[in-house]
Amino acid sequence: MRLVLLFLGLWTLDIKLWTLSAASPAELFHDGVTAFRANDYSDAIKAFRQSANLQPAAGTLQDLGLAEWHRGHAGTAILSWEQSLWLDPFNTAARGNLRYARKIAQLEATDLTWYEVVSTWLPANWWAWIAGISFWVAVGMVLLPGIFRLPKASWHQAVAALGLTIFLLSIPAHIGVHTRARIGFVQQKDTPLRLTPTKEAEFVTRLAAGEPARLERQHGQFLLIRTSRSVGWVEREQFTLICRQL
Amino acid sequence: MQLFEAPNLKEASKNPIGVWNLEFLWSLVLGAWCFFGAALPPTALAQPASIPPQQDPLMSLMLSQPKIEITTNVTAAAYFDPPIVRPGEQAIYRVTFNALEQTIDWPKKINAPAELQTEPGAHGQIIPMLGNVQMPFTTFNTRVRASSVGDFTIPEFKLQAYGSEVTVPPAQLKVVSNPPSQPFPVLRLAIEISETNLFVGQPIRVRATLPGSAGVFSQGLPPVQFTGQGILVDQAANSQMVTVTSHDGMNMPTYTFQTVLTPVDAGSLTVFAQCFTGNRFSGNLVIPGPVTIPAPPTPFTLLESEPVTLNVQPLPKEGELPGFTGGIGSFSLETPKLGTNELVVGEPVKLAVVVRGDANVARLVSPPPPRVREWQILDSTPAGGITQNTPTGIVSVFQYTLVPLTDEVHETPAIPFSYFDPSHSNYVDLTIPAVPITVHSGEIPADFATLVKTNASVHEDEEPVLSGLAPSPGWTGTLIPLQTSAWFPVVQLIPAGAFIGLWSWDRRRRYFEQHPEVLLRRRARRALHRERRAARRAARAGDASRFASAAVSAMRVACAPHFPAEAKALVGSDVLRVLGPNGDGEVVRRFFNTNDASRFAIGTVDPSGLLRLQPQLEKVLQKLESRL
Repeated sequence: MRLVLLFLGLWTLDIKLWTLSAASPAELFHDGVTAFRANDYSDAIKAFRQSANLQPAAGTLQDLGLAEWHRGHAGTAILSWEQSLWLDPFNTAARGNLRYARKIAQLEATDLTWYEVVSTWLPANWWAWIAGISFWVAVGMVLLPGIFRLPKASWHQAVAALGLTIFLLSIPAHIGVHTRARIGFVQQKDTPLRLTPTKEAEFVTRLAAGEPARLERQHGQFLLIRTSRSVGWVEREQFTLICRQL
Repeated sequence: MQLFEAPNLKEASKNPIGVWNLEFLWSLVLGAWCFFGAALPPTALAQPASIPPQQDPLMSLMLSQPKIEITTNVTAAAYFDPPIVRPGEQAIYRVTFNALEQTIDWPKKINAPAELQTEPGAHGQIIPMLGNVQMPFTTFNTRVRASSVGDFTIPEFKLQAYGSEVTVPPAQLKVVSNPPSQPFPVLRLAIEISETNLFVGQPIRVRATLPGSAGVFSQGLPPVQFTGQGILVDQAANSQMVTVTSHDGMNMPTYTFQTVLTPVDAGSLTVFAQCFTGNRFSGNLVIPGPVTIPAPPTPFTLLESEPVTLNVQPLPKEGELPGFTGGIGSFSLETPKLGTNELVVGEPVKLAVVVRGDANVARLVSPPPPRVREWQILDSTPAGGITQNTPTGIVSVFQYTLVPLTDEVHETPAIPFSYFDPSHSNYVDLTIPAVPITVHSGEIPADFATLVKTNASVHEDEEPVLSGLAPSPGWTGTLIPLQTSAWFPVVQLIPAGAFIGLWSWDRRRRYFEQHPEVLLRRRARRALHRERRAARRAARAGDASRFASAAVSAMRVACAPHFPAEAKALVGSDVLRVLGPNGDGEVVRRFFNTNDASRFAIGTVDPSGLLRLQPQLEKVLQKLESRL
């Protein structure tokens, strides 16, 4: 019993010490900004990345992209700005940075379908809430007056119709978010696109850092991706999805 | 007579080398001629081989240049100029070689006595014609100041030139309190700069003067150079003249060289002038007194001025106006002149803008034309205005070609333009104003239709720029789609469960409303259980009156759903009716009688006998429960 209590005490102490030593996302963001302003981009990248790992935020990812761009990492910078827009599509700075980077690096933007374009109008995860809430509001407006024996009113039907409309309209965006989650970006310069998922495979072409592609499937350490021009296999560490699902 | 005898085929067939062989040989020779004829280039056939190939003109020009003499032994001459100075007065330690400057490995630090403060000065080379060859002369100056009186000698030292060792002879400097007067004034190059507090990019006129320089300059000498870090010299603005000026009460010819300097870097910049002059003397100059000054052994002397420090500030970012192209000075615009005020769509028209101002107007760069949807504007003078000398001064003329792309415009677009006024340290707006114009409709040519489209897209698609840092982390969230998270479907099930619960509750409620007996029986069953438990507790406690009361209550509540009556209003006969003829009527009667007697009789009733009837009571209650 004493041993168990001792173990619990040490575990609690360890948790408290870890909490004290770990910096918060806001502190890490501030450290990153300070390092960036001192032109210490390596430390800025570390701080911004830690902050984004603890709590993904549009501004943090925007600054991470800037630091990566100044370090010459175009692929990582473009990925960070795309992630920033995933969280906050109203972030004009990140959008401008993407246009700037793609113009400088001679890269094309991601070719989106119409429902994916719709999904970019709002933060990606808003669509799930909008679909869920609007659906249940519509259901509630249909069911609740009867259950609670309220007199039938026209506004009940109006709210139900509105909820159902919003739900139906959000479905394409919902699908767009789902398919956009399979979009990623080449991280390394001159990444070879292979014909087969092997190290010895023939190169189909070489991809520039920051080039967009869609993930088709995985095989071991290789990913089958589809760019606007070709299809082939790349190594897992050379390609990162916007939503980090790998 | 048969002149030609037909070949005897029989014989020919017998001899295979006959007719066939001759045709084959002729064909072979003809084929060889055709082959070589085709293979040889036509020029080779056309040009006779006797004409020698022409020499490359550039090579000819290079070969015609006089030879630069680099084969003679390199010698060095070192001396102080002037050789006698006061303490603290500057002298130049001058070392001259007859070699190219790039080949001399000049030391960074001179081994001078501790009393002498040395500072690197000007250095340069001159390659004049001496006879049939060009002789290079290179001079390294070192500024020297002595802190005390005495004779100081920079000793002999060796360095490398043309890869071989060259000895620099010793040189002596005499520092006395009262140096003897010089027979000729010492040649001193002076630098005059009108202003030393400048802004980056602000051109200034600079002048170098050399009083008493008659006879030392010739046309073959290179002009004065201005040396310093972070400055640009406008070679096109060079001018030189010789005037007679008064120095120390003496009128003497003075060589003056003018040019324009532009600082291109901020901070404290040092600039000095340097030039080569011819020597006026030959032979030795003997000064009465203890010192013999050898005349410089070289025909040319590298003079340098005192360095001048320029304090250069960067142009302020605050207040910068649109259309600033680096113009610094004071300028004004004349009214813009348009080639014509009436034109049709797609017809180009010239817009001329005259800018007046100080001498820097010649360096003005025209502002870039704005990109507007209705106009295609071309800058005819993108590298700067066309400079013209007018009776009232120098002007710069900007010219633009404007093409209207629609007939809806009534004036030319204003072209943003501004300059920086260094005297007031601010930017001044000098926007080229709009000029009224009438554009008539017309058919837009195909190429201009493309321009219209391009202009529209350019107008919408502004040049992207990299943003600054985000001041705050901003919106937070997750990069993983919510629908793929495990908890999200669970959250969606919560309202579903709530609605299902509400719906079930409503159905149940409606059922009970239609079948109230079900609810009554259920309540009766619960009340029966409750009263039976109370009866059992009373029986275990031996409390007969409570046992009787609980038993009667149990029977009443069990029978109440069968009658539209309150349970307390039922009597024993009601219970017996429910039990039927085969029920335990005696047990029921005894319990009701005893209970009624204990409640309503005047005398006391002993209900203890009822405790023995508990098994029968249980049977009765079971029967009643089964009928609920």
